This record gives sequence, C-alpha cells and structure tokens, in this order.
Amino acid sequence: MKISRYFSRNQLLGLLKTGDVILPGTEQSPSFSQTGCIEHIDRMAAFLSADDLSGLRILFSIFHWSPRWLIRLLMRMCTHNRSYPGFLGAGLRMLEIGLKGATMSLYYANLTGPGYQDKKVFEVIGWNPKIVLRESDLAPGTSPGPALNYDNPAPEDVAAIYKRARQAQPDIESWGVAKRLEFISRLKDIIISRQAYILDRIQQDTGKSRTDALTAEIFGTLDHLDYLEKKARKILADRKVPTPFALMGKKSRIYFEPMGTTLIISPWNYPFYQAIVPITLSFTVGNAVIYKPASATPLKGLVEDLLAEAGFEPDWVQVVYGPGRQVGDRLIEQRPDKIFFIGSQSVGQHIMRRAAEHLIPVELELGGKDPMIVFEDVDLPRAAAGAVWGALTNTGQSCTAVEKLFVHQSIYDRFMDALVRETSRLTLGTDPAGGADIGPMTTPSQVTVIAEQVADAKAKGARFLTGADWDGRSASIPPMVVDQITEGMQLDQEETFGPILPVIPFAEEAEAVAMANAGEFGLSASVWSDDLKRADRVARAIVTGNVSINNVMLTEGNHALPFGGAKKSGIGRYKGEFGFYCFANIKSILIDGNSNKMEANWFPYSPKKFRLFTDLTTQIYSRGVLSTVKAAVSGLKLESYVKKVAKKHARSRES
Amino acid sequence: MHTVQSQTYDFIFVGAGISSPFIAHELCRAGSNCLMIEAGPHYTHHTYPRNELDGTSQMYWSGGLELSTDAKLVFLRPKVVGGGSIVNQALVDRFDDDALDAWRAASGVDFFNVNDMDAWYEKAEDEIAIQEIPADVRNQNARIFQEGFEKLGYHLAPLHRAQKDCRYGDGNCCIECLNGCRIGSKQSTPETVLKKALAHGLQLVPETEAEQISENDGGVQVQCRDRLGRQMTYRGRHLILAGGAIGNSRLLLNSGYNRELPHIGHDFYCHPQYMNFGIYAEPVNAHIGAFQAFKSDDPGFRHEGFKLENVYAGPSAIAMLVSGFGNAHHRFMEKLSHFACIEVCTRDTQPGRIKVNRKGKLIIHKERSQTDMDRFEKGTRVIDEIFRSTGALEIVHGSFGIGLHLMGGCVMGADPVRSVVDPEFRLHGKKNIFIADSSIFPNAPGINPSLTIMALSKMAADRILRNVQS
Repeated sequence: MKISRYFSRNQLLGLLKTGDVILPGTEQSPSFSQTGCIEHIDRMAAFLSADDLSGLRILFSIFHWSPRWLIRLLMRMCTHNRSYPGFLGAGLRMLEIGLKGATMSLYYANLTGPGYQDKKVFEVIGWNPKIVLRESDLAPGTSPGPALNYDNPAPEDVAAIYKRARQAQPDIESWGVAKRLEFISRLKDIIISRQAYILDRIQQDTGKSRTDALTAEIFGTLDHLDYLEKKARKILADRKVPTPFALMGKKSRIYFEPMGTTLIISPWNYPFYQAIVPITLSFTVGNAVIYKPASATPLKGLVEDLLAEAGFEPDWVQVVYGPGRQVGDRLIEQRPDKIFFIGSQSVGQHIMRRAAEHLIPVELELGGKDPMIVFEDVDLPRAAAGAVWGALTNTGQSCTAVEKLFVHQSIYDRFMDALVRETSRLTLGTDPAGGADIGPMTTPSQVTVIAEQVADAKAKGARFLTGADWDGRSASIPPMVVDQITEGMQLDQEETFGPILPVIPFAEEAEAVAMANAGEFGLSASVWSDDLKRADRVARAIVTGNVSINNVMLTEGNHALPFGGAKKSGIGRYKGEFGFYCFANIKSILIDGNSNKMEANWFPYSPKKFRLFTDLTTQIYSRGVLSTVKAAVSGLKLESYVKKVAKKHARSRES
Repeated sequence: MHTVQSQTYDFIFVGAGISSPFIAHELCRAGSNCLMIEAGPHYTHHTYPRNELDGTSQMYWSGGLELSTDAKLVFLRPKVVGGGSIVNQALVDRFDDDALDAWRAASGVDFFNVNDMDAWYEKAEDEIAIQEIPADVRNQNARIFQEGFEKLGYHLAPLHRAQKDCRYGDGNCCIECLNGCRIGSKQSTPETVLKKALAHGLQLVPETEAEQISENDGGVQVQCRDRLGRQMTYRGRHLILAGGAIGNSRLLLNSGYNRELPHIGHDFYCHPQYMNFGIYAEPVNAHIGAFQAFKSDDPGFRHEGFKLENVYAGPSAIAMLVSGFGNAHHRFMEKLSHFACIEVCTRDTQPGRIKVNRKGKLIIHKERSQTDMDRFEKGTRVIDEIFRSTGALEIVHGSFGIGLHLMGGCVMGADPVRSVVDPEFRLHGKKNIFIADSSIFPNAPGINPSLTIMALSKMAADRILRNVQS
C-alpha cells in the first residue's frame, strides 16, 4: 500500500476496511480495496483543512481496530439518520458525508493502484464523457509551477531549483522522523522489486561487472536503508544530558534538527549507492536535497523515478545534471546549507574554496592510496584472494581499493605466485548473468591516468607480472600485479583508481607501518595476521579513517561504522550514528524555570561576591567529602547574598 | 515568519471570484495600483484538474463538503481564482421585477429595479459571450426534460449560457467543464475581465488567505497566510471584499466588525437545490453532450418559489447523493447510464446565519422554514410527474440539499442596524471598505446570481471611482 504524507499505516488500513464496507464490490463492480484507489488518498488529503484531516485520522484509527460488523452497523444508522433526533441525526449525517466523501471520491475518480487489471469503475458504470482538445488548447500556457531545466541548468534555473527546495523543506521537517521513514521503507521495497532494471542501468552507465553492481550498489544500498529504518528514530530523538551541580534546577537537552537544503555531489564509481545513501540520510534528518550525479554516470531519471514511485514529491529531492565544472559552481553560489561531496582530491579542494566564500559547511569524502599489510603468519591463499579482490573489485575504481600491498619478505615469493595465479584466472566483461569478474573502465579520462602511471612505472624499472601486454588505450584493462616499486614512481605516490596492484616487501612491523603512513592519504587500510594483538597494534599505528583486520574494504560493510578519511582523504564522517550528524544542526537547549531569581554570575559585581565565588570555585572542584560540603555551604551563602542584593535593588527601584 | 509589505496599494481585493475581477478591471484601467488576494489556486485552461477527485479537492473549501450545523445542506463554496465562474454551469440571467422588488422592499435601496439595473446588465453582458445550446446537440437528459414539460403543459425556455465556442461537433461533453473549461469556451473571469485587469497591471496573489483586516491612518491592512503558513501583511488605501457570503462574513467577524455592524452574518441564503434521478429502461447517458439546455420558465413555478433544471454531476457526487451503501449502492450505480436528472432549486425564505466560534472557525446555521419545505416538496412533485410521464421505471431522490448560490451575510440596505453595506457599496460608516459581490444580496432572488454580481460590480466600480476621485 502506498505511504501517505497525512495518514499512518494503521489509519490507511482503517480507511481500507471502511471502504470495503461501503463499497464491497459485486460481480461487476470491484471493491474499494481491489481498485487500489487508496494509493491516491494524498491527492485529497493535501487540500483538507487541519480540522477535517484530524477528524478523518481519528475515525480511521478507530475503524482500524473496530470489527467490520460495527462499521456496517454505524453506516446503517447513518443511512437512517432521519429517524434520529436533532444533534444525533446531524452527527450521523456528518459522519455519513465524511466517510462517503473520503471513500467514494477516491473510488469514483476511476483511479486505481499499480497492477490493477480488472474492469475500471468507469467501464462498469458506463462513464465516458469526452472533451476534445485541439492544438491551440494544448499550447503551453503559464502553468502555476514553472517548468525548470535540470539538465545543465542556467543560473536562474538553479536559483529556482533552490527556491523550490527551500519551500518544500519546512514540510519535510514538519512530519518528523517516523513519517519520513515510511517513505524510506517504501523506497527499499521498490529497489528490491526493481533490482534487475537498476542493474541494467548501472551497467549501461558504468560498464562494471554485474556482480560488482549487485553486491556493492544494490546490497549496500538496501543495507543502509535497513539501518535507517532501524536506528534513525532513536539517534535523531531529543536527548537529555546531565546538568552540572553549579546549574542545579535547570535542564539540558540536545535536539537534532535539519540544516535546510543540502547539496550532494557524487562520483561516478558507485553512481547508485553514492546517490541513494547520502540522499536518504539527509532526507531522513529532514532536509530537502539537491543532488548532482557525476556527468559520466548520470543514471538519468533513475533516482527520480524510484523516489517518485516511493511517494516522494519532486521538490523534496531534485536531481541536477551537467558537467561539474559548470554546474557545480552554480549550485554552490546558491548557498546550500551544507555541501556533501564524494570524489577526487582536486575537486574537493575547489569545492571547499568556493564554499569558504559563503562559509558553507562541507563534508568531503576524497581519494586514498590504501595500504594492505600482510604478516608472515596469515592463511596465504585467503590473504592473496583478499588482496586480489580488494585491488580489483569494481575494476579498482573504489576510493578504498588496495593500492599498496606490503607483504612480509619471508612469504613474499609464495605470495606473489599466488597473486599471479589468482589474477590470471579473472575474466573480463559485463556478462548479464553475472559471470564476469572485471568490467571495463568507466571513463576514458581515467584510462589516460592509468596509461600515464603504467608508462612511468615501466620507464622507472617496475616489474609487471601480469597485464604487461595492455595497449595503453583499451578501456578493458587487464589486471596488473606489479613489484619493484620505487619511491619516485607515480604508482607509489598518486591514487591510481584502476586494476593495478603494486606489491612491496617488508622486514619489520615498524617498517611496514612507516611505509603505510608515508603518503598524504589516509582513507582506509587492512592488516592481516594471526596475531590479533599485533594486528590491533598496527591498526592503531596507521594514520587513517578505517581499518579492516584480516579482511579488506569491510568497514563499509557495516552501516553502524562511520566512514571518512584522515589526512588529505577527507573531512568529516558519514554513515552510522555520525552520518546523521553530518546532515543535522545539533541544537543545545538549556531550560530554566520562570522565576524572580537572579543568577549569581549576573551584575552587579562586588568584592564580596568575588570572594564568595572564589571560595565556591576552589571548593567545588577540590577532592574530598569535606570540600563538597564546603562547596554546598558557599553556594548557599552566595545565593542568599544575591537574594539580598536583588531585594535592595528592587526597593531602590520602587522608591 | 511574518512579512509586512512596504508598498501601499490603492486597492486591495480579498477574493478573486466574479465580483473583484469585474471591479479591478475598471479600476486598473483607470490607472489604480491594485492587489488581489485569493485563497485558492490560479489555473489556466491548460492546468485545470483532470478528474472529479482533484477538482473537488483543489477547487472548493473543505473539499466541496462544507456543512450546515444540522448537516442537511452541503455548501459548494468555490476556492479558486475565478470562483463560481469556473465551476458553474455558466447560466446567466437577469433578475426580474419579482426579485428586484423584493430586494427594494427589504433594503430600501432605490436602484433595485429593472429600469435602473438594465444599463448595468448591458455593460456586464458586453464583457462576455452568451449563447444558447443549439437544438440538435441537446442530449437525452434535455429531451426527457422537454418532453415532460410539454406533456404536462409547463413552460420551459432555452438556457442562456456564458460560453464562446463549445465545439459540440467534436463531441464535447458539458460535464467535463464543471472542474474548469479546458477549451477556453466558458466565460469565466480568468478568460475575460481578469485577463484584461492583469494586462492593466493588476497584481494577483493566489493561494493566500486573508485572515484579518484592520484600519489605521486612513488606510487598511490585510493580514494573510499563504499555503506554506507564512504570514504577510499588505497595506492599501481602500479595501474591496469579494470573498462571497461566507468568506466576507467570516473575515469581518474575525476582524471584530460586528461590534459596529451587528448585522454581519445575518440574512444568509443559498437556493437549496435537490437532485432527483429517474431511471429508465433505455440508456439516457445524461453525461454525454449537452445535458442542460433548458430551464423551467413557468410563471406558476416562479410564483411557488422554485425552478427546475436538468443538471447533472460527476459520479462521486451522484454516489454521495444517493442514500445507502454496500451491494445496494453498487447495483444502483451500475445503472448510472440509465439515469436522467432533474433538480429543484428553491428560493429560500428563511434566512440563515453565519457565525464564527472563539477560534475563528465557521458555524453556518441554515434551516428550512415550512414555506421552504413546501416549495421543495411542490418542486419534487412536479419532477416525479415529469419522470413518470416520460416512462421512468424508478425515481430516486437525493438524500441531502446542496447550497450553491451563497448569498447575503453582508446585505445592502439603508439602515445600518439591519444591513452591512450602504447603497454606495461601502461598509456603513467606513469610507474605504467596499463590497459588491453576492454577500450584499438582501434576500434570495430565485434566479442564478452570476450576471447580477457582474452588473452590481460594474455599478460599484463606477461609484468607487467617482467617490475616490471626489
């Protein structure tokens, strides 16, 4: 059943039950619930007055719990309202008109729900009036809602897009988290039922293998929505926090409020996941969202379609397309209340610079050069398989892909053999049945970057154990295992974002940590060892945002864990509890009662007050029971002094 | 958030139905700076709702289900730019001696007579195209009506309708224009005078409801709330209230004007109408083509205080009107294409009363006197006769009345105790607040009010311009 902005699920079930009592259906006519016309309830509810709406809510809630025979009895009484006197008759007539109004307007508008196949109501009752519109009637008029251009919009379009978002946001905020989560649940169902189509679209735009698309984009997204459903209410609820002794008698609260209109800019490597996750996170907090996908992988129309199907109004989440260089700045110029960006370091830097002009808070999830450290006591085949997957999944186009593999020298040769063996077995392609391992690269520009790094590495003496035969042009890049890496190589310094696995041997734990910490990135890492104490020690020593122990790229697999980078890999954390905070205005509230009491720290100051305050300050923070007692005494003294001064003050004012 | 507009307008109009576009057109043409506030949305003929659910939800107060306190009458109160001229059946008739004499008697206003009104009716008719429905396109519903009248010896006449070109040859059906005419034929104010007023610089603010008015420094202030709940205050030198009987009364009551003008909200009339259905063996298909070509034109009926119309309505409205639920209801509606429909429209004599409670919520008392009941019953008897004489197998009476022509509440008169508006269209004792819409009607005329609202508005515009200039 569709979610309503105005009625809860139970209230809708109450309406459905009432509808089926009033319109039970015959051999010819469908019943109220069969038609699915309840899906359209918001078309009516949106225009009802607050009083009418709350009346209907109460009625439907009651009917949800009432047996059918009771509703039938009530309707029968309504039908015979004339036999009831005065106000009782009037009450029954109001009830009848209200209930029939709600059910019959929906049913006889001939609207049905998705999947309804039988005869429509209009066919049954023979209702077929027509009006023939001619060319001149169809000419575009001045519609109340201006048609906006979302494809590479001009500055004035962008301004109108923001206006729309800002007008819609108070509405979104007003429903509260629970109501917003109903839309999230509906979206989850729709993604589940349409996953084949979504995979087609992702593969079309990215070229990635179907299994990569399924596990990272669909599974990951659903997992996130599930997390929202389960946790958002609690995390975003008002919180009580303790109030210290010195502020006795007052109360302290934290409210989590939306920031307003948030701008989300996502990269091309996981175009579906990186769209839905931040959009839904921001929406759940209560923000309106403006979303800009990467121009290489826009999935044009997909996000809008899915959201619309889930009952989102077009103003809540607006998708803006176009090249980042042009559109991005226009979007920032309109001063969103928050910018959330996932992508490259250089673009992140540019965004932060533009945001600084208006002091817009930014959240940046940037690139990485993530290390994997393998000690000598690991299960070798498993670690090698993990390294190959970590480096090559999504064709290496992940910000947390393994881009530097440090292997203990005692197992180095055996490990390299295993890597080469594993890598040579991989299949390339986009097999629609999901059989292929590695898809082609998504963007030509990234192919150029990789060709440059490969040529540089070859020139500086790196050894290519696989993939040496790549022509430097084809987007189907064979996975490459490379060693004999030296410090001056681009492959050693810069993010690669492709199917290349550089391997470096090490002798000592400290050496491995030092090498892992060498670069300017710090997004994620993995540590492999049978000795969990050692693994934990190394995990703490690496300067990075996320570490997986004896696994790879797995911190992202748990939506309760925050995600984000250290050093130049980003600013802020998203996902998990902290993810909500990145889209929230965290508001502190201190509540005092209304009284005539003056505060001790207010004016007027006096030498005596200074003395009393000094005593209190010293005693309150000194150790021991005695000082606590002393502090209480000083507190009382201070309070009575303040009272006395206030009284005197009041008297002098009166005279 | 509360914004106070710094600009001061010459005239602020509250409500954008029939009256204010007619007045604004004249005032804007004369160079005044005018603002018009309307609670409902502003559609063009491209954007009208496409089905009954959207139509009633979006174009009426309370989704078309506003009730009297005894819940025996449902008021259809339009909430849309163009108001009644959008959602009506476009009937335009001048008032006769009978109606105007009764007005003059009740109000003591001299110009309520056919001679004085003629010139203003002519000016109003000049603004709109008026046509009759040609004989060859009248549908079976109209033919049943005609046949019954002829058999029983009653008089009937073709309707005068404010329409330009309904292109019946295309197979267009009148029922489709009840939620706004999508082919630009119906002569609603947005298609006629409002368009001209906007071209002369009228500023229109739709989806904004006036909540309170006040006066200061010789000017007026209107406090409003828009669809998103934002408050705004507009300032003007003059105020023209055109929110209809209920809208004007409510606004004035909520602004405390009843202390000076105790008659606000009194003398409310609504021509209670009752739809009745005859069910025939053969399909009638009342919804196809032009169903409403005739009106009763019988001196006897006029004398008895009712008239008959062969109207029709959408399926939701009919389903609501016929009593009952469950299987019986379905079986009834399954025969819908065999229905013919005749409505009795009564000229009500018992005045109702519009009030607001402490929270400013509307309370509408509208009961029927014995005379009103007699009129309704006599009309219903004639309808039964017509249905029977034309071979109806079954007759079904609608279960409640509909208040369509909402009139009075701010009636015009010479006496400030028994009326609200003076013969110069000003609120008694107020130099700069005017009303010319149906809320000034002193009693129920028994004739469709549109054309008379237009004529009175023309007259009011003329007087306002003269008064303001002097």
